[in-house]
Amino acid sequence: MKTLFLKDMRYRRARVVLTALGITVLISLILLLGGIMNGMRIQARQYVESTGADVWISAEGSGGAFIGFSMVVEEYMAFLNSGPGLAPDSASPLVFAQARPSVRGKSTKAIVVGYKLGQLGGPNHAIEGKMFTPSNFEDYRPEDPVPYEVVIDEKMGLEIGEQITLSNEKVRVVGKAKSLMFVLDTPLLFMDVRIAQKLLLGNTPHVNMMIAKTDTNEQPQQIAAGLDALETIEARTLKQTLTDIIAYYVDEPMKAVQFLRVMLWLAAGILIGMITYVTMLEKTQEIGVLKAIGGSNGYVMGLLLKQVVLISVVGVVLGLILSYVFAAAAPIFVAINFVESIIVVCISFVVCCGSGYLAARKAIAVDPMIAFRGEI
Amino acid sequence: MTAVVEGTGLTKRFGTGDATVVAVDSVDIRIEESELVMIMGDSGCGKTTLISLLGCILTPDAGELRIDGALIDPVNEDLSVIRHGKIGFVFQLFHLLPYLTAVENVMVAMDIASTKTDAAEKRATELLTQVGLSERVHHRPAQLSGGEKQRVSFARALANRPKIIFADEPTANLDSRQSDNLMNLIQELRREHQTTIAIVTHHEGLKENADRIIEMKDGRIVTT
Ligand SMILES: Nc1ncnc2c1ncn2[C@@H]1O[C@H](COP(=O)(O)OP(=O)(O)OP(=O)(O)O)[C@@H](O)[C@H]1O
Ligand SMILES: [Mg+2]
Repeated sequence: MKTLFLKDMRYRRARVVLTALGITVLISLILLLGGIMNGMRIQARQYVESTGADVWISAEGSGGAFIGFSMVVEEYMAFLNSGPGLAPDSASPLVFAQARPSVRGKSTKAIVVGYKLGQLGGPNHAIEGKMFTPSNFEDYRPEDPVPYEVVIDEKMGLEIGEQITLSNEKVRVVGKAKSLMFVLDTPLLFMDVRIAQKLLLGNTPHVNMMIAKTDTNEQPQQIAAGLDALETIEARTLKQTLTDIIAYYVDEPMKAVQFLRVMLWLAAGILIGMITYVTMLEKTQEIGVLKAIGGSNGYVMGLLLKQVVLISVVGVVLGLILSYVFAAAAPIFVAINFVESIIVVCISFVVCCGSGYLAARKAIAVDPMIAFRGEI
Repeated sequence: MTAVVEGTGLTKRFGTGDATVVAVDSVDIRIEESELVMIMGDSGCGKTTLISLLGCILTPDAGELRIDGALIDPVNEDLSVIRHGKIGFVFQLFHLLPYLTAVENVMVAMDIASTKTDAAEKRATELLTQVGLSERVHHRPAQLSGGEKQRVSFARALANRPKIIFADEPTANLDSRQSDNLMNLIQELRREHQTTIAIVTHHEGLKENADRIIEMKDGRIVTT
């Protein structure tokens, strides 16, 4: 009777369904937490990588671009552009500042990216509408009148022509750029570096950082090290910058979440172990009878293990599916890594089956004499 | 006549030190083919322990056991094979699996003995018909009366064509009418299958059905 174990499961279906659901929820939580962190890592990288810059220069003592507070005097631009090892005229000033614009009357989180159109730091083309009007002068001139225009993230849900309020000034949306959300779905607002300086940096000749490309035949690592040796600036390669930004924005703040993931695994193992064990306790009588009428330990074990494996498979697979459904429906960016999810699923399956096996092994140790004794 | 079961000097102790109980004390016993024996005696005299030893559920501390002429080696032999191959059990509390129908409960015994499902289902249905349950084949234990459950137990015990059936107080949980019915069934089954049956019972009224009464006292057999 191949279906003996199924009949048993059908008889105890409420518990079977609950166990599988418990596993499902725990697995999907483990996967979702991983997906959230993975999503944050992707968002932490995507803007930085999109600029195409190889060297990131910030103020001395800032700990690197994006990490500590960094203000650099724009005068360095001249030095960098004539500097050794950098691609000619590739050095670009960049304002990268958290802002709290009022969008349709609602205060919203955003990051203002101020750069020079045509240089590194932001898109050169809008996917809808047009780019902002660039300032006329290379250097900082507060008297230079530039219209307040912004290119927004396509996913912000604003229409071209609408206005947002930034530092009490009205800024007009003129175009939309390909979505490049920063960590935790923070939209980027692209505008001319002069407007950004005016609205966010108190109209001073400073920027937060400067970025540049290295000459094709140069090693970014050496160029960055050379610049870093200077007294007043810090320089990092793209690779270092990415490492820093992921550590600073994702891995360090999410340490507790990582810990939680491990705990969830433990919980999944304990859960199935406990439920299997309790179910087995309830079945001691039956197991004893099966042994008394001649069932070997292997026979009974087979019966129990088939149930454990089936519940684990169903729970784990549903968990996998559910995590993708949740990820799609989540209010924040969740990117579940497929390979990672397969690994998680495999480990979870082993954990569930392992604890189920331990419980079953304990259960089949029952003395068949129990069949003669009735209740104990 | 050949002995289906033959025990010599069978002894079983429980506990250690001062708390040691000699449940079965150097018992010599022989049960012949097609015999219906009843094992009787006061509560605690060792009846259940004795049939557990004879049925290879317990292993003796001393003594020898032969089933169907073959000496049992409890250390090196897989006793579960002997239990499903040569012995049938009927328990006081029926012990049917609650999640299986009557026919499936009989089939489990054959599943344990690796009988193919089709053949098992056919035989299980036949056996249930023989015990008068042709109308109850697909009922669960919860839907059966005590007497009906015990009939299913007998069908299950017969499933693998055992050499002997051990029944521990099979009528203890039945009323007198049901237990008379069961006794009639047992007599019928013996006529059909020539099955050897050993019944542990307290019911004095059942005595008349037995070929032989084995009386126990304090772990020993006093009359056979
Ligand atoms: N597992 C055990 N541990 C300790 N003592 C036991 C154990 N099993 C049985 N005994 C003892 O062995 C003796 C015989 O028990 P057994 O169950 O064989 O009696 P019985 O004749 O079947 O009694 P009853 O008619 O009440 O069923 C009793 O004194 C009992 O307490
Ligand atoms: Mg007893």
